[in-house]
Amino acid sequence: MIFKLENLSYRYSDGTLALSEVSLSFARGERIALLGTNGSGKTTLLNHLIGILKPSSGNIYFDDKPLAYDAKSLQNLRKRVGFVFQDPNDQLFAPTVKQDVAFGPLNLGQTPEQVKKMVDEALETVGMSEFKEKPPHFLSLGQKKRVALAGVLAMQPEVIIMDEPTSNLDPRGTSEILRLLLQLNKGKGITLILATHDVDMVPLFANKLYILNKGKLVAHGEPKQIFSDTELIRQVNLRSPRLTHLFEVLNKKNKLPIDEPLPLTIGEARKEILRLIELSKNQKKI
Amino acid sequence: MSHSDLYAEVDRSAYTNALAKNSPITKTFFALSALAIGVSAQSFVVPIIVFILCTCLSLGFAKVKPRLYLGLFVYPTLMLILSCIILALFFGSGQSLIDIPLPWTTWAIYKSGISISVNTFFRVEGALSCLFFLVLTTSINDLCVLLRRIHMPQVMVEMSMMIYRYIFLFLEITEKMILAQKLRLRRSGWLSSIRSLAMLIGSLFIRTLDQGERTLVAMTARGYGGEIRILDDFPAPRKIALLGIAFFDVLLIVLIFLTLNIGVV
Ligand SMILES: Nc1ncnc2c1ncn2[C@@H]1O[C@H](COP(=O)(O)OP(=O)(O)O)[C@@H](O)[C@H]1O
Ligand SMILES: [Mg+2]
Repeated sequence: MIFKLENLSYRYSDGTLALSEVSLSFARGERIALLGTNGSGKTTLLNHLIGILKPSSGNIYFDDKPLAYDAKSLQNLRKRVGFVFQDPNDQLFAPTVKQDVAFGPLNLGQTPEQVKKMVDEALETVGMSEFKEKPPHFLSLGQKKRVALAGVLAMQPEVIIMDEPTSNLDPRGTSEILRLLLQLNKGKGITLILATHDVDMVPLFANKLYILNKGKLVAHGEPKQIFSDTELIRQVNLRSPRLTHLFEVLNKKNKLPIDEPLPLTIGEARKEILRLIELSKNQKKI
Repeated sequence: MSHSDLYAEVDRSAYTNALAKNSPITKTFFALSALAIGVSAQSFVVPIIVFILCTCLSLGFAKVKPRLYLGLFVYPTLMLILSCIILALFFGSGQSLIDIPLPWTTWAIYKSGISISVNTFFRVEGALSCLFFLVLTTSINDLCVLLRRIHMPQVMVEMSMMIYRYIFLFLEITEKMILAQKLRLRRSGWLSSIRSLAMLIGSLFIRTLDQGERTLVAMTARGYGGEIRILDDFPAPRKIALLGIAFFDVLLIVLIFLTLNIGVV
């Protein structure tokens, strides 16, 4: 297990209980989605994973060892776990893209030659090489997000955490970021932990889904299973992905014999529709 | 061009001009030495040469848009003309050029006053052209790396880097806030515009504090340990270019001595 939380609770200094008794474990190589409405505690949880917040009570284990908060352990943690913030303007501070991406590797004490190589590679991966010498304020939001991701990639982390990776992005920007993240997961085995309130995004990348509601973990498992429990999804003020909803309606209102679990992705939906067509053909023959 | 547009244009030029890839050492050495020589000249001859040179380099070699380059001169030049008129009218001594009889006295305008005024005018314009050449062709990033190389205190360099980045961020935020106020029908009366401005400044101040905190957190997450290290990878300056500039500087200095006593009147 790369991360394990035991009965984690967190109370902000103003008294808000943002997390209460959260227990979960993330395995290496997983693509994890943390789903919940605004204010459900996603950001608070993520901030615990890189030691920005300390739990009010409960335990955090990283790589099966309790998380330590001395400077050296934190440095080691942050080297292995990259965090991309929700607003890239919080993250990009340097005068040029190159300088910003170099910040992390330089902090790790790499030589300038190594750093240059890592910066080039990271910018290449996110497709932002041509903006290397440009200042951040020349870039669009989607481009800034990709540079922020490059800044983390250049540190060659084992885990990438992204808070609302696709918020405010257009559909094209969204699918580009997701494709990139999938590549990183499949190619380099990087564990992905993404927080989002965008239900439709989850089936596109996640193989593990955790649902947070008012600071509590209310469900976890494979996205298919969880989205099949439409009652639960409604209770926590979320909705099913649009595709899934369509099949749910076809099943309930039109009495079509749809298989459970309901399809989540276009590929699955296609298969299900073809199966239904086959079925009706066979019925006619009989 | 509004002020913020002008700054944005200067900034854009620093990254996109034709000399952007040249060594900042060469550019800075040229600009600063020309500046020093220009302001130490007695007469207007050397400053005019410096001005023509910087203008040719900026427009011809760096391919800065003439509108932008000349635009930068407008306000300082207006101020300068005012100051020089005052210099010409009220300063100087010795042999007077014109005597204007006033009921209670005669007001003398001196040759030396006019000469001070003219020399000052060209010295300042020459100095401005050096500085404009530098800011239009050299990015803040390069300047920061350079400052680091000459062992400027760490804090100064870090502050310059971050102030630069956040000037543009907060310009953006301010523009958005003003737009938001306008969309909610900000009244245009004097009193209410003062009130809107106060609100704007107030929320901007809170935003800056907030931004500082969030940036620090984000930097910490990438292993910030109290010192921003800078990637220093700009090309070594071409020796021949540095030599050329040094040679030219010597020429100008000689010229300063040759033109010591040249005056306008
Ligand atoms: N700095 C803070 N101080 C006090 N309360 C906070 C702070 N940050 C977040 N909260 C509260 O904690 C809860 C969870 O917030 P957050 O983790 O940001 O949720 P999410 O990221 O899921 O939108 C919310 O009720 C929010 O108002
Ligand atoms: Mg959040």
